[in-house]
Amino acid sequence: MPSRWTSLAAAMDKLYEFDREAVTPDKLQSGGKFAGLFAGEHVAATEFVIGAFFVLHGIGARDLLLGLLFGNLLAVLSWTFVCAPIAVRTRLTLYWYLRKIAGPGVTSLYNIANAFLYCILAGAMISVSATAVGLLFGIPIPKLGAVLPTSLGWVLIVVVLGAAFTTMAILGFSKLSRFAEIVSPWIFLVFIAGAVAVLPRLGVRPDLGNLWEVLTTKVWNGVAVAGQEKLGFWHVLFFAWFCNLAMHIGLSDMALFRYARKWTYGLYTAFGVYPGHMLAWLASGIMVAAIGREMHPGLMAYEAVGAAGVAGVLLAGWTTANPTLYRAGLALQTVTPGWPRWKITLLAGTATTVLASFPVFFLKLLDYVAIYGLVLMPIGAIVFAEHWVFPRLGIEQYQAERKGWAFNWAALAVWLGTLAVAFVLPLHLYFRWLPGWFIALTAYTALMAARRTK
Amino acid sequence: MKGRILKDLAGLLALLSLAACLAAPILFFLGRITEGSFKTTFLVASIGWFVFAVARGSSGKSPAAG
Repeated sequence: MPSRWTSLAAAMDKLYEFDREAVTPDKLQSGGKFAGLFAGEHVAATEFVIGAFFVLHGIGARDLLLGLLFGNLLAVLSWTFVCAPIAVRTRLTLYWYLRKIAGPGVTSLYNIANAFLYCILAGAMISVSATAVGLLFGIPIPKLGAVLPTSLGWVLIVVVLGAAFTTMAILGFSKLSRFAEIVSPWIFLVFIAGAVAVLPRLGVRPDLGNLWEVLTTKVWNGVAVAGQEKLGFWHVLFFAWFCNLAMHIGLSDMALFRYARKWTYGLYTAFGVYPGHMLAWLASGIMVAAIGREMHPGLMAYEAVGAAGVAGVLLAGWTTANPTLYRAGLALQTVTPGWPRWKITLLAGTATTVLASFPVFFLKLLDYVAIYGLVLMPIGAIVFAEHWVFPRLGIEQYQAERKGWAFNWAALAVWLGTLAVAFVLPLHLYFRWLPGWFIALTAYTALMAARRTK
Repeated sequence: MKGRILKDLAGLLALLSLAACLAAPILFFLGRITEGSFKTTFLVASIGWFVFAVARGSSGKSPAAG
């Protein structure tokens, strides 16, 4: 068994070899580059669903605006004060830093978990695109509450789209990434144009005199759709905060911030989250209200913007599923040593397509996003403890690297234990990660301190 | 030199297309154009954005550029 892990770790190290060394000063990037990078990063196909769900969950307009304002601020501050400082001090990716802390075995498990979660996320993006294609062929999309595939037509659309997205990811990931850079600002305009265009349908006058009244009575009127849980200010605040939890508190954006000149570059994430996780969500909420609160992103965009809207939903799904498929493939490569790139992407694409045919993943997207962040969060707490707390308490850092451990059992136990505790915490799913982070931080520090005492 | 001019021109036209995408819904909201005109304008401007933005990117990599 240990030799199996050793060979896996060796294969994984080879994969990530290109970023093994700490970033050198001549490779550091300017703040403007970071602003540009983040500006195009947070407008994805899933925004069509998330903003619409806030309406369906009966969130009031004031609660939504304040929740998004402060939740996104907390996300920006998490990038700035948690993720960026560690990245700037170490100049390493999370992969290499975690390897020093938890050992290659735990890092492999982390990668496998990440790959699986990425596949579900990419699957949700394919499902969103499928709603646009279903509209063209008159195929009904699954209704709220659906878990299993609801029709052969739905499965066929998903399979065709999944096969197309996977094939294109295999043929040219880098070209598609460049195309995605062109698509990104346009997608954002689809959101804005769609919201502006449906305002007259909702009864907003051109002088905007009754805008607030319409928004509070016809869009975010505080009444949940039948079968949907009623959510409020704190749910929105926490959702906006944790929807990129794996990236900031979970530290996976160390891969980006290791190129930052200063840790304060974390503030540039505001250029991404406020347009993507505030304006786009508000826009999709207005659009869904205009179609009678039906969860159908394709119809929503078509009614608002016409054929370009359908193209927008399709392209948003395609361009955002592509890098997600790539990342899933990269993470999966750790358990399939020696496989060529195309075969890994095919495997990830096939798994993603199967998952996408289950509508539960996009119809329960808010819960999935919470679970996604929650699963990876303890790793961020472990790294945070090792980086900041251990030196202050005199606990030896990077013992896994120095002592050659394949598994830092304390890290693994804390990761799994935190998830077990979070599972039974008597709190709403959205709030569990925060006490979970402190539990992981304290438990890991205590375990490693106890080991030192022995 | 010619490549540089073409690249700048494509960039300008791409930005104008994006501006048209934004202007069309505002004009519709203000009641200056019909819904059909808005959707057609948005579609044409969107195609314009993709054509010119891709052309700008391609001319940037052209050996003749610059």
